Order: sequence, then C-alpha cells, then structure tokens
Amino acid sequence: MVTVMKILEIIVSPLVALIVGIFFLGLFRKMMARIQWRYGPPLIQPVIDLVRLFNQRGFSHGAVFDLGIILSLAGALVLVLFIPIGGMCPLANSGGLLVILYVMLFAPIGIALSGGEGANPNISIGISRKLILTLSYEVPFIFIILSLMSYYQTISIVEIVKAQAHYHWSLFSPLFLSGVAYFMILPAMLGIRPFDMASAPQEISSGIDVEYGGKYLAFSQIEHALSLFIVIALFVNLFLGGGNLPVFLLKMLAVFVCGVFIHASFPRFRIEQATKYLWFWPTIISFISLIVIQLIR
Amino acid sequence: MDRNQIKKWLESPGKMGHKYSLWAVYFCTGCGIIEIPPVITSRWDAERFGVLPAPSPRQANLFLITGYVSVKTLKAIIKTYEQMPEPKYTVGFGSCPINGGMYWDSYNTIKHLDKYIPIDGWIAGCMPRPEAIFIAVTHLWTLIDKGMAKGYVKYRENYGRYRENQEKALGKLEWPRLFPIKDENE
Repeated sequence: MVTVMKILEIIVSPLVALIVGIFFLGLFRKMMARIQWRYGPPLIQPVIDLVRLFNQRGFSHGAVFDLGIILSLAGALVLVLFIPIGGMCPLANSGGLLVILYVMLFAPIGIALSGGEGANPNISIGISRKLILTLSYEVPFIFIILSLMSYYQTISIVEIVKAQAHYHWSLFSPLFLSGVAYFMILPAMLGIRPFDMASAPQEISSGIDVEYGGKYLAFSQIEHALSLFIVIALFVNLFLGGGNLPVFLLKMLAVFVCGVFIHASFPRFRIEQATKYLWFWPTIISFISLIVIQLIR
Repeated sequence: MDRNQIKKWLESPGKMGHKYSLWAVYFCTGCGIIEIPPVITSRWDAERFGVLPAPSPRQANLFLITGYVSVKTLKAIIKTYEQMPEPKYTVGFGSCPINGGMYWDSYNTIKHLDKYIPIDGWIAGCMPRPEAIFIAVTHLWTLIDKGMAKGYVKYRENYGRYRENQEKALGKLEWPRLFPIKDENE
C-alpha cells in the first residue's frame, strides 16, 4: 500500500507542479496586461501556445541541442520530487536540501549545453548572463540554506516544514533575516524583471531561446513553468510553513503575485549591476543571519 | 472561448493552436512599422487575440511585411521567411508591397512582393489603421479554419519559380537552396 501511494505521488506531484506552473505563466501575462491597462490574453493562453508549438516544426542543430533541453527539463522534473507539495513528498528521505542545491544547477547547465550547439551569438551572451546570474544568487542562497540547516539541525525539508507547523513560521523566528534575503534574491531565481537579462527579448532576442522553435520552445517554456513552481514552493516550504495542499497553493499564489508586482515596477539591471547587488545586500543580510543563528544555537 | 469551439479544439488542436497563437516577427521593413507599437501596447492590445511579437523568427508563425520593400530589405525578408518554422503565415501591410504604391517608379524598391515570397493576405491602405491589423487577423483565422492559408505549401511546391525571381532581383544568392527544385520540363 505504501509503495502504491509512493508511485502515485511520484506521478501526481510533477503533474501538480506543471499545472500550477502553467497557470502561473497565464496569470503572469494577464496580470501584466491589467497593470498596463490592457485587457490581456485569456488565462489559458500558455496552453494554446504550447499546443501550437508542439504542432509546429522545430529546427534541430545536432544531438547535444536536443539532449541539453531534455537534461534541463529532466532536472526540473526530478527537483519537483524532492520538494514537499502540501504533505506530498515522494523522495523525502533522500538528501533534502543538499540534493536540491546540486540539482538546481541542472537547468542552467542543460540550457548552456543546448545553446552552445546552436552557435548563435545571442545564445552565447544569454548563456554567459544566465551562468553569471546563477553564480551571483547561489552565494546568498547557500548562506540561507546553511542557516536553515543549522537552526533546525536537519537537512530534510519535510522536517523543517514539520518544525514550523509545531512552533511558528521561520519568517517570524530568528531566521527572519534569512527570509528577507531569500525574498531579495527571489526575482533573480525566477528570472523576472530586474534580473531578466538572460532572456531579454529587446536586447538579445530572448537570449537562450533564440534558436528554439516548435517543440524545443515548448520544452523550454515547460521548464520555465516548472522552475517558477520550484523556486516559489521552496520559499513557501522553508519560510512560510508549508501547510496542506490548498493552503500551500494559496501561499504560493501570494508570493507569486508579489513577484509580478516587482516585475511590473522595475526596469532591467545590467549583468554587472545585478552581480554587485546580489553579492552585496542579500549576501550581507544572509551572512549576518548565519552568524546570529550560530551564536544562539 | 465559445462552447461550440470545444468540438473544433478536439478535432484539430493544431489548427486551433495556430489560429489563437499568432506570434509575429519583430521586423521593421518600412514606414508601416509605426502602426505596430500602438497595436501591441495598451491602446489596441493585440495580445487579447493571442498576437504577440516574437523576438526571433524561429519562434514566430506570422510575418507582417510592413511597408515598402527595398531590394536590400528583400534579402533580409527572404532570409527571415526561410528561417521561420512551418506552418507560417505572411501578411502584406500597406499598399507598397501590393503593387509598389507611391514607389511605383522607384529604381530600388520591389513592386510585387508575392513574386518573391508567398503572401496569405493583404491589408490595403497608406497607412492602414491599426484596426485593419485586427481585421486581417480575423480574416487569417477564417483562412486557417478553411485550410486556405497555404502560402508555405505554395513556397515549397513552386520553390524553383520563387528562387528564380529572387535571383533576378538580387543577383546570385549566397545561401543554399531551401528545398530541392523540381524540373519544370518533366
């Protein structure tokens, strides 16, 4: 019985992630339209786009071009299995936060491999920006993860969610500063406006996506939806206390709406400004938080 | 979405996807492009029809030729058109691509664009209003529904003729042939 439930969870949780991620993409476009005083596309527009893209002929530039995008999609799908989604976590006992730190790098590396085969100058600019951005937000992210692990004395996310259910959210505990730092790097991890230089459509023709057409672009969009889900779900689990499925999704929606407002109100950073910002305020705040946690434990 | 469209969605999802997700290439060929910013921004909001400017021709399926086509632009237009994945739709915007318009006796513009690439529909006028683009989009929906927007098939079948015209206008082309050319005499 337990095995059947586990297999069911392994099937269901990526589906939930996919549906929620694609719904977020649609909501994103609709909300941006309403903020700009437009009517906006229907909420299911990303689904229509995906149907169209799967029916369009895509161009391949070689085997690595195909395999790289599959690798990044697979990385995102595997990552979903490690994240508790409202009490449902298929691979709860296998590594926790440490695995997430490693597997999160699969998506940028897969896209970099795939784009390298595309041999378009816009792709190389996009990849270099994406990897620099990843390098920039990983530093505060590691500090945040370290302070969480040393505060709760565990590497398992499920344990952290359980501990928050017993006492109070991490955001209102000594980990407050870590939560603030995570929220500051959230736009960079999501790739939204102040930090969307890796996929800037106006400067470098959408960067990493420029050679993708047809099903390749569809895979890229699905990967984008999944990574949107993963980053926000991680924030909700680590700092906002998880909860059962409806509560969890509502919290995700609240964080996502904040993200859309940030996207709507900021212009785009240059890449070195982004690195300067990410290595200054979020890093300092998360480092102070790490020291505070070490002192009080 | 209407309820009576559900049947159509189930019958041919690809066709309906192409209808409601037309991504247009960002490509300013002439003065007509000045009508595009109001169309895609808050004033007329093309996104509610699913029309979105795509940043690269690989992602697009709608090509708006906006305004007069000089010989130099024609080269870029052909390159861009051949980079777009099939199915793809082309709309000539303004009177210049139709018959030369006010450049009818110019020495360096192309008079009839449909000699060089296939065009699925025209918007006449100098300039057409932004509303005309929406009328064109709804006409294109009807054409896609009836299976009449077959410009890309025409291009594949008559590639020899098109290539001949292109070489007549531009001299020798430096890129290889997109499709094998059938022998006309057989």
